[in-house]
Amino acid sequence: MRTTTRLAAAALAAGTALLAGGWTAVADTAGPSPSADGSAPTEAGTTFRTATVLKQGQTGTADASTGDYLYWVFPATAGQNATATATVTLPAPSTRHGTVTWQLDVYDGLRRHQACASGRPSRTASVQDTTVSLRCTLRTIRPWAEPWSNDPLPGAYYVRLTVVDLPSQDLGLPVKAEVEATAKDAGGSKAADGELAAPLTPVNQAGATLDPSADPSASATDSAASSNASSNASSQPEAVQAPGGDWSPGWWSDRWVWTVAGGVLGALMGVGGYTLTRHPRRRQAGQV
Amino acid sequence: MIIRKRLAAGACALAATLAVGLFPVSAAADESAQETPKVELVLDVSGSMGTRDIDGQSRMSAAKQAFNDVLDAVPADVQLGIRTLGANYPGNNRVTGCKDTAQLYPVGHVDRTEAKTAVATLMPTGWTPIGPALLAAGKDLQGGNATRRIVLITDGEDTCGPLDPCVVARQLAAEGTNLTVDTLGLVPNDKIRTQLSCIADATGGTYTSVTHANELTSRVKQLVDRAADTQVVTPTATEGAAKCSTAPLLGAGLYTDREEFSEHRWYRVNVSDGQELRASVSVGADRAVNNDYGVLLQALTTNGRELVRGSDAGSGRTDAISAGLRYAWAPNSDTPVSRTVCLEVSNSFSAPASVKTTPGLPVELGIGLVSSPDNPSDVAAFGLGRGWVLLVVLALTGLLAGLLWGWLARWRVAIRRIN
Repeated sequence: MRTTTRLAAAALAAGTALLAGGWTAVADTAGPSPSADGSAPTEAGTTFRTATVLKQGQTGTADASTGDYLYWVFPATAGQNATATATVTLPAPSTRHGTVTWQLDVYDGLRRHQACASGRPSRTASVQDTTVSLRCTLRTIRPWAEPWSNDPLPGAYYVRLTVVDLPSQDLGLPVKAEVEATAKDAGGSKAADGELAAPLTPVNQAGATLDPSADPSASATDSAASSNASSNASSQPEAVQAPGGDWSPGWWSDRWVWTVAGGVLGALMGVGGYTLTRHPRRRQAGQV
Repeated sequence: MIIRKRLAAGACALAATLAVGLFPVSAAADESAQETPKVELVLDVSGSMGTRDIDGQSRMSAAKQAFNDVLDAVPADVQLGIRTLGANYPGNNRVTGCKDTAQLYPVGHVDRTEAKTAVATLMPTGWTPIGPALLAAGKDLQGGNATRRIVLITDGEDTCGPLDPCVVARQLAAEGTNLTVDTLGLVPNDKIRTQLSCIADATGGTYTSVTHANELTSRVKQLVDRAADTQVVTPTATEGAAKCSTAPLLGAGLYTDREEFSEHRWYRVNVSDGQELRASVSVGADRAVNNDYGVLLQALTTNGRELVRGSDAGSGRTDAISAGLRYAWAPNSDTPVSRTVCLEVSNSFSAPASVKTTPGLPVELGIGLVSSPDNPSDVAAFGLGRGWVLLVVLALTGLLAGLLWGWLARWRVAIRRIN
């Protein structure tokens, strides 16, 4: 409790300075930092298990055949609006036989299909078109949700790119695909509280069937070998890393400004109200 | 609360996540013994490979050129082998011609000159026994738990029957885990395309149609590199039961299984208080299926009460359909106990009557156990407010408080004056 008060006091003190616009700088550091370092991946995975890891802001490319199912995976955390963008360079029009429909699907770390809140995740290209552009923006990722909900949560997000409708003669023709995963801070209006036990990262260890006759509590401890990516990061260098190195969305949101401003305003109005009631008396005192 | 403490301590959240995840990881230690991946290139050397229609050169010479380039660039940690089909028997006897498949170079670490010399001797000769060649290639790659990949390059469909190469491929994939067949069709017609894409789909592989020599080279190179790159976890094979009481008890990790159309498979997981179970399942469509399909993953108690479910449905072309769920027991006593959660996997795939239903569809099951409770808290971050209504309410409250305080003070002064 004492720490909370101290924190509140510190926030109050900083509040006025932050109001001036200094908070935008803080918000920037809390947001996603597009990493330009390291070469962008030039291959795509073909299953959930082999999905190529993308960082936020990174563009992954892949040479593939029409009909391949291409998988990438990227991290996104609470308070972000994640967007997956894909551009497919189609085979030469002379080799094609009709319209093709390409589709971008996004799944969360538990392989649950995620709805696109905006964007065009599916598009049909005619024979003359040379490229198809697809985009899917997810709902704002929440820091916590009940197990019964399908809300997007911090963790890995799979992107699947494939052709869903095509003339059979076009199967197997070479295509180039380009996928970019970005995320934007959703702002204070979406800043929620709560925390997930661990981000929804893919399970990256081989399973072990346990002996059912064993003591259930003992076997549970054995099986507790965590699926948490951070605990066995050394053996799984390809695991999905938190954007900006941290899964927690950070403490900052513009709700601090609103609340502190409200407090300050309330205090000022209090003083104002008090002065209003004092005035007649002071006037009276002056006359007497 | 946790967040606040962490903030006060100035510790970064990563450290906290690490601390949360740091409990004995004994089971994860034995997975380091990953074998080097095995790849076998299966090349069609049938008579039709002599046709000169790839950039003016024969299909055979394009394939040889591609093989030379691929052999030059084989990653060091890949065991590569080469098998031919239709390379030796030039005659017209169908029975003999359909047995004609031979290993040109054994699977192992490649001696480039030796392998190239072997490839150079090939001449377009015989029949196209794809089915027997796939079976033999499967045997060549047997043993160990390495990633296994067959790259099939052909220009004709299998006319040998009754062995359907597509069925052979599906059986190969069902027998061992982690076998993929990628197919490349040289100047393909409809029949070849159908057959090769069926083989690829049956094993989770890819199909490519090739009309230019450089396409062939780059694709084969890419597939061999892919075998080397995908140092991913090999799932453990398991077999779900028809009811929960006899179901296999699973720990955290990845599993594979096979499930027939409309079959229900059960698994068990022990989840103790304060642990969260995370399960995800993908059911693959490795054959021609009807347009609409779905998957249902349910978590139930041992006496059949549903705890939570994950489901998805779809239609159209797909490689798999997946669903996931997470669940933590509500702690009901001070001493943590471990209780069993039954997982039921069912699918609503269906197929035309002509499609074989065995072996079942590939199922990939991922089980995660996360050892710390969720921290559901206030709806808003730190319980902070936002918006103009908040400001007006606080301002009015302040004003009211100020006025009240002022009047109170006036009243007290008045009382004092009277006294």
